Amino acid sequence: MNPKPLLDIEDIHVEVEGKEIVRGITLKIFPGETHAIMGRNGSGKSSLSNALMGHPSYQITHGKASLNGQNLLDLSADKRSRAGLFLAFQYPMAIPGVTVANFLRAAIKARRGPEADMSDFRKLFKKEMDALAIDHSFATRYLNDGFSGGEKKRVEILQMAMLQPTMALLDETDSGLDIDALKTVSEGINRFRSDDTGVLMVTHYQRLLNYVKPQHVHVMINGRLVKSGGPELALKLEERGYDWVEEELSRSTGA
Amino acid sequence: MAKKDAKPMNDKFDNNGLISDLSNVLKQGPEWLLEKRRVSRDSFNNSPLPPRGLHLWRYTDPQKFINVSSTATDSATVGKQPSQINSDLSESDIPKGVIISSLSDAVENHRDIVEPHLYQLINSDTGKFEAQNGALWDNGLFIFVPSGVTINKPLHFQHVSSNAGSNNYPRLLIVVGDNAELSVIDEHLGAENNSDAPYYSNGAVEIFGYENSSVRYANLQEHSAKVHTFFTHRARLGRGANMLTATMSLGGLLSKQNYGVILDGDGAESNMYGLAFGSGHQHLDCHTLQHHRSSQTNSNIDFKVVLRDRAESAYTGLIRIEKEARNCEAYQINRNLLLNKGARAETIPELEILNEDVRCSHGATTGQIDPMERFYLEARGIDPSEAVRIIVAGFAESTLRHIPAEFRQGLQDAVAQKLKAM
Ligand SMILES: Nc1ncnc2c1ncn2[C@@H]1O[C@H](COP(=O)(O)OP(=O)(O)O)[C@@H](O)[C@H]1O
Ligand SMILES: [Mg+2]
Repeated sequence: MNPKPLLDIEDIHVEVEGKEIVRGITLKIFPGETHAIMGRNGSGKSSLSNALMGHPSYQITHGKASLNGQNLLDLSADKRSRAGLFLAFQYPMAIPGVTVANFLRAAIKARRGPEADMSDFRKLFKKEMDALAIDHSFATRYLNDGFSGGEKKRVEILQMAMLQPTMALLDETDSGLDIDALKTVSEGINRFRSDDTGVLMVTHYQRLLNYVKPQHVHVMINGRLVKSGGPELALKLEERGYDWVEEELSRSTGA
Repeated sequence: MAKKDAKPMNDKFDNNGLISDLSNVLKQGPEWLLEKRRVSRDSFNNSPLPPRGLHLWRYTDPQKFINVSSTATDSATVGKQPSQINSDLSESDIPKGVIISSLSDAVENHRDIVEPHLYQLINSDTGKFEAQNGALWDNGLFIFVPSGVTINKPLHFQHVSSNAGSNNYPRLLIVVGDNAELSVIDEHLGAENNSDAPYYSNGAVEIFGYENSSVRYANLQEHSAKVHTFFTHRARLGRGANMLTATMSLGGLLSKQNYGVILDGDGAESNMYGLAFGSGHQHLDCHTLQHHRSSQTNSNIDFKVVLRDRAESAYTGLIRIEKEARNCEAYQINRNLLLNKGARAETIPELEILNEDVRCSHGATTGQIDPMERFYLEARGIDPSEAVRIIVAGFAESTLRHIPAEFRQGLQDAVAQKLKAM
């Protein structure tokens, strides 16, 4: 295994509106690895992912985060993206009047530079839409405007496929998907996985993990990763819920 | 004139801004027209300035138009570049019976069509500055499409104000017969080579859409930076006629525009999409009128405003539904996007609804770019200023998509240009 982590997070704390939500998270993701963070709603999973991406509402008050050795916290969101970080949002924003095709063209131009050759765009775009079973009519629809929950998630993965990041944070990408869509989207994620890329899935269900198998599973409670393990941990959570983790936790802290 | 040295700069106006000499235009044209010009002149000279208390003039001082029109020199005396018909229409694209002509030729050659229409929708009763155009218009165009005829490509008119310190009075008359179809782009440009020169432009557009006709009209206001421009548009629709109006206001220091559609036959329908983009110290004032005079008529207005720097906008929209106009629908929405503090948008809807059998709504919003939208674009690697450009282009899209495709790119570029150096 490559000894240098792709994503290296050290004791990250995140505040939202002056309230500490993420309370010290340390996590290393090496190239080729897929991790999952599981936790109940409200445990701080989205706060962590949004903060790593540079969302203006989430302040990182303490800790370090780097991608491929480059300090992320010094970079604005657009630079983090161009450095190879990608976040598939839990709630993607609608951008009225901006078509999916124009948006993606602009995003790719931002990577390649204003003078770059874009002649391959159309072909690549069609190929990825087909792979994700997205109707070509979506190319000229306004981004996320009136999309169903499932359509938004597919288009998030479409963006990931087009932008080819090195590290993908996938925030509840399975929510809103029916079983067929879940399969298609999972295949999209699996195509993205390689020896050079990393994936961090954030979810409160384990069903996505049946299709995209992580090597490492972490449990998040109250802004902290309280337990880590292999894929079997996800199954146990599915079966027994989170209560037993909390009980274990309070026993060990003696509370 | 009392003293020789008190001679005004402009031979059409005396020192008080009144029209004193009509010689240029009075010498030309048939007597019926000259009579209309004289009536208009007298009305302009004798009417007081419009009262500021009314919505129409609450946000713009009419005195500013008097000042600039009487100090600018007369375009006709300096030599002007007339309005041009700029289109790639070949002879074969223009069906038999269609007339495309200068308005001054048309008053002579097509009196039977011109006289019953010219001054019908815009005249000295409309307002003081409409009377000024009625007296002084010198740069006009006329289009007639006979019943049942369709022109497949858009007609493009370009009014270029080429002279520093000149006045312009363009006038456009469009008559579209029963079941006929027409698309027009009416472009008002400042001269590139002296974009800093002040001038005054006062334009009027009258459009008649007869039964079941279909008319698309796009107005592109791209005057140069120091222009004071006053502009009035009125369209009257007959039974079952359909009208689509798209307006872009980008230029001028002071722009006052007034767009109105009169739904004058059962089942007529009007859709209007507007975009005004102000920067620097621009003042953009727009009034719209949706006037329902017949039953089962529908009208819809979507008017958008983008402002940056210290630009100001005023939008006032009147929906009037007459007592005898039953079962009508009228909608109006005005959205204002302020790109920085210091820009200011005013909006006032006015409703005059004289019967209860209507569906009608109006709404207005004013806000900044949603930081969450911006973040979404930035999270995909798009830098912050490009993200703003894309969001504004998206905001403008609801108007731009109604402008004929061959002009869209140019307008998108013009919008992008206005966003530079943010
Ligand atoms: N933008 C926000 N504004 C205010 N509170 C927020 C915001 N985002 C998250 N929170 C709060 O932070 C806590 C954790 O939320 P979140 O990170 O979304 O959890 P999860 O993704 O695990 O469901 C919750 O109490 C939530 O209300
Ligand atoms: Mg969440």
